[in-house]
Amino acid sequence: MFAYYFQLGLRSLRRNPLLTALMVMAIGFGVAASMITYSVFRATSNNPIPQKSDQLYAVQIANWKAEDLDQGEPPPALTYTDAMAFMQAHKAKRQTALYPIAPSVIPADASRLPIEENSYAWYGDAFAMFDIPFLYGGPWTQAQDDARAAVVVIGKKLNDKLFNGKDSVGKTINLDGHDYRITGVIGEWDPQPLFFDPVNTGGFGDPIGLFIPFTRAIDLQMTTAGNNNCNETPGTGWDNWLHSECIWIEYWAELPTQADADAYKRWLTGYAAEQQRAGRFKWAPNVRLRNVTEWLDFQKVVPPESKISLLVSLGFLLICLVNTIGLLLAKFMRRSPEIGVRRALGASRREIYAQFLIEAGTVGLTGGVLGLLLTGLGVLGVGWVFDEQIARLATLDVSLIALTIVAAVLATLLAAFYPTWRAAQVQPAWQLKSN
Amino acid sequence: MLQIKPILAALKRHKAGTVLIALQIALTLAIVCNALFIIQQRTEHLSRPTGMTETNLLTVANRWVGADDKATPSLGKTDLEALRRMPGVVDATLTNSYPLRGGGWSTSVNTTPEAKKEMAHTTLYFTDDHALAAMGAKLVAGRNFRPSEIEWVDAKEFQTTPVVIVTKALADKLYPDGSALGKVLYHSGHTKPSTIIGIVERLQVPWTGTWASNFAENTILIPRLLTGNFGSYLVRTQPGQLERLTKAVPKLLIQTNRMRVIPEERGVRTFAQVREQAYKSDRGMAILMGVVCAVLLAITAAGIVGLTSFWVGQRRKQIGVRRALGATKHDILSYFLTENLLIGAGGVIVGAALAIGMNLWLVSHFEMERLSLLYVAAGVIALLLLGQGAVLAPAMKASRVPPVEATRSV
Amino acid sequence: MLKMTHLSKVYRTEVVETYALRDFNINVKEGEFVAVTGPSGSGKTTFLTIAGLLETFTGGHYHLDGIEVSQLNDNARSKIRNEKIGFIFQAFNLIPDLNVYDNVEVPLRYRGMKAAERKQRIMDALERVGLASRAKHYPAELSGGQQQRVAIARALAGSPRLLLADEPTGNLDTQMARGVMELLEEIHREGATIVMVTHDPELAARAQRNVHIIDGQVVDLAEEPRFHAHNARVADA
Repeated sequence: MFAYYFQLGLRSLRRNPLLTALMVMAIGFGVAASMITYSVFRATSNNPIPQKSDQLYAVQIANWKAEDLDQGEPPPALTYTDAMAFMQAHKAKRQTALYPIAPSVIPADASRLPIEENSYAWYGDAFAMFDIPFLYGGPWTQAQDDARAAVVVIGKKLNDKLFNGKDSVGKTINLDGHDYRITGVIGEWDPQPLFFDPVNTGGFGDPIGLFIPFTRAIDLQMTTAGNNNCNETPGTGWDNWLHSECIWIEYWAELPTQADADAYKRWLTGYAAEQQRAGRFKWAPNVRLRNVTEWLDFQKVVPPESKISLLVSLGFLLICLVNTIGLLLAKFMRRSPEIGVRRALGASRREIYAQFLIEAGTVGLTGGVLGLLLTGLGVLGVGWVFDEQIARLATLDVSLIALTIVAAVLATLLAAFYPTWRAAQVQPAWQLKSN
Repeated sequence: MLQIKPILAALKRHKAGTVLIALQIALTLAIVCNALFIIQQRTEHLSRPTGMTETNLLTVANRWVGADDKATPSLGKTDLEALRRMPGVVDATLTNSYPLRGGGWSTSVNTTPEAKKEMAHTTLYFTDDHALAAMGAKLVAGRNFRPSEIEWVDAKEFQTTPVVIVTKALADKLYPDGSALGKVLYHSGHTKPSTIIGIVERLQVPWTGTWASNFAENTILIPRLLTGNFGSYLVRTQPGQLERLTKAVPKLLIQTNRMRVIPEERGVRTFAQVREQAYKSDRGMAILMGVVCAVLLAITAAGIVGLTSFWVGQRRKQIGVRRALGATKHDILSYFLTENLLIGAGGVIVGAALAIGMNLWLVSHFEMERLSLLYVAAGVIALLLLGQGAVLAPAMKASRVPPVEATRSV
Repeated sequence: MLKMTHLSKVYRTEVVETYALRDFNINVKEGEFVAVTGPSGSGKTTFLTIAGLLETFTGGHYHLDGIEVSQLNDNARSKIRNEKIGFIFQAFNLIPDLNVYDNVEVPLRYRGMKAAERKQRIMDALERVGLASRAKHYPAELSGGQQQRVAIARALAGSPRLLLADEPTGNLDTQMARGVMELLEEIHREGATIVMVTHDPELAARAQRNVHIIDGQVVDLAEEPRFHAHNARVADA
């Protein structure tokens, strides 16, 4: 019977080409708008490290007085003082302080220009914490962290550029005039959003291709390439700044269980209380532990544009559906005589439901195909509205294709319920009744 | 409007269709009002002038490689001299930031040293006596910096300077009586005053976001060049030379000193590109909302045409009877127009409420302003007109139903 | 085959109750060809819609092929319509969007018949009404007589036990009407029970038995002549 109704549905599409075109376009546009904006929303609200997002915690502590805080929330970054205290306490399974740096790679070949690479200074633990895959070699050791060693981990792209993709472990590269020994080359690692540092990246950006020990970067007085916020003048010079209340370091702790997290939070609160006793903080402990999803949410990584346009698109789809309800109603009611005859010839209500829902389904399917075309075009055009770093993440993959078609058919079926119900109410007709 | 009562009676018998059209009008109004409002908000500052002469202006981001902070002043000086000597270059300057760049230095200032509350938030451009010429900013009072007033300073050592140039917006904010020239200002937390020696007509901050909109033109020019690895050159070219210099300038800089990085992306940009990239999401959002509005209105109009056509088809006989009983074509036409107006009126009342409700929700969840009622009023009128326009074709068709239709049996 | 006892049908609106049928009794035996006549508004069509299970009734009993139908739900009624009853409408009621073949196929589809059997039956039925060559035509491309023959083919295709016809020749000219009538007589000879509503006394005369309906009540000319005389007087007066 399904095939029969489907065939009837297709035939019906051709019958009122204008009405059909209208419905198909309404569904197509509505679904396409929703899918395009959804593709962006999906990319921006992505969980970049699902296997560990509830074990990794961003650490915050209020080192400023309440007036300097944003709605009572501790600042989104730490001072050097606190970050070092946490590192030394070593209370988590793994932990790292990190900040973006901007060194340039000076190629050995003097005829080549210096290369800029997105870089971070952090601890060796970070590679295991963030599940970063290695192509060659591995992370540097904790001993090398402690020894403030001149070691480096580079990305695949840089390795291709400098060593033609060969295993470069043990070789040396020059950053800003200082030599570093390569301990490892990482493979594909492009978490989006860049969960470990949305504060300085806005959440999205090119993959990070170079890492050096945090301790080494401090020794070389490398300033942050990201934000530095001070609530009061730090005084002049590197040391004054380093020991000031300026915040510029992100801090992550790996706490595998809820109990670990609770214990860490207790310790953190205790640390803040200690600072209060010591007179550094003149306020009660105010600390936060946020896991990856909570952190991204708190950092408002999903741009408001994405949310607003998704909402507007959904509203648009809703209007298209209301429109479709009306048009389907007109289309079905115009066929009351046919329904009457079918009922007289033995069609039960259920069969009328089936016929008209399947007919609506074919409208939805056609609308879905149109929607798919428009979605494809729209995804190509996402770069017009959104930042390139976000636009490149919005792609038309298999799941989006399937979702587009399913959404179109389901939405149309939803819209068809009332018109179909009305159609099924048509009494078996003996004669064509005219009004 | 003579036949409102019978029309209402007839509409009662077409509840579903009536409700659907009204609902569609209501939802369309809600979305179109808010979308138009978003467009207006987004495009409002698109056209905001930076205060610079934006034509013939080139920006170059520069980063020294392996250079000690103390060495950068001489490197910078060499660069600037080379740039200013280039044929086709009018002037060039070095600055930490410039309008629409996206990143920069902001602080709060005051007219007294001890005031706890900030009087004005402002951005600082660290630059030299060539800045006004290179930027093409207009000095409306006072004087430019003298070469002797320019010094190099480490960003971490910077305190204050004896003299500053401010924008008119900031001057008026600090000294509303217009007497700012020659008066002083204090950077928050500092006790050394800076004397305002010049006022420029306008100079925008580096940021375009909503958060910076309440100090969008509060700018201070500091006669200090920052040591360190980062900086941007602003190069003003002679007319017609911009394209050539876009390629020639980075080449010259590499020739002058190869130990530098000029980023591949966004390293060398004409100011037109800077503006385009700074407002990209605003413009994109406006375009997106515009397209949504247009398609939405078209779909709503098409929906009205579709449903009304169906009604007309259903009521052919009835229309024929009316015609037979003496109704003129005009009567039939006005019947359908009035009917649509009544439905539309119902729709826009609900729609106006929805529009305001939706806006309140957006205000509470996003950085958005309250919807101006003017937009709702304009939307109401637009949708009523749209409805009348959409119903015109089917109504005309109805008015052409011949009276003889009354005698047809089916 | 078709037995109604004390059957009544009331149409209620907000203000009035109208009896379309009142204490209505009729018994059509298997294999009979009954013509139902009566003035317009007498309740003929209501009788036929109830007989065809297109409408429910208000009171009394209706046995169709031995089954009491008043308690059946919509599904069961649909099934009976589909399997036991064939309809021939005055206005043909072909579905304009389907061609002749597909129109005849409609009731067979609802019966869930295999494609091969459907095809066999459709072609047989069309053969029967002499329209096999027009299978791919659309109703609009056929004359009124041809359309009615398609409608009859559609009614026949399902081999119904009971054929209900409402003014089957009402929209046809005399010659076409004769052809359709002959077809009905032929079907009757093959064993089908036929109930035909008609205005036309000439047509009615060709049936085995005439039932006259006046004011929603049966005046069976064959069985109750006395009652008829009474009613006739009322009508005269």
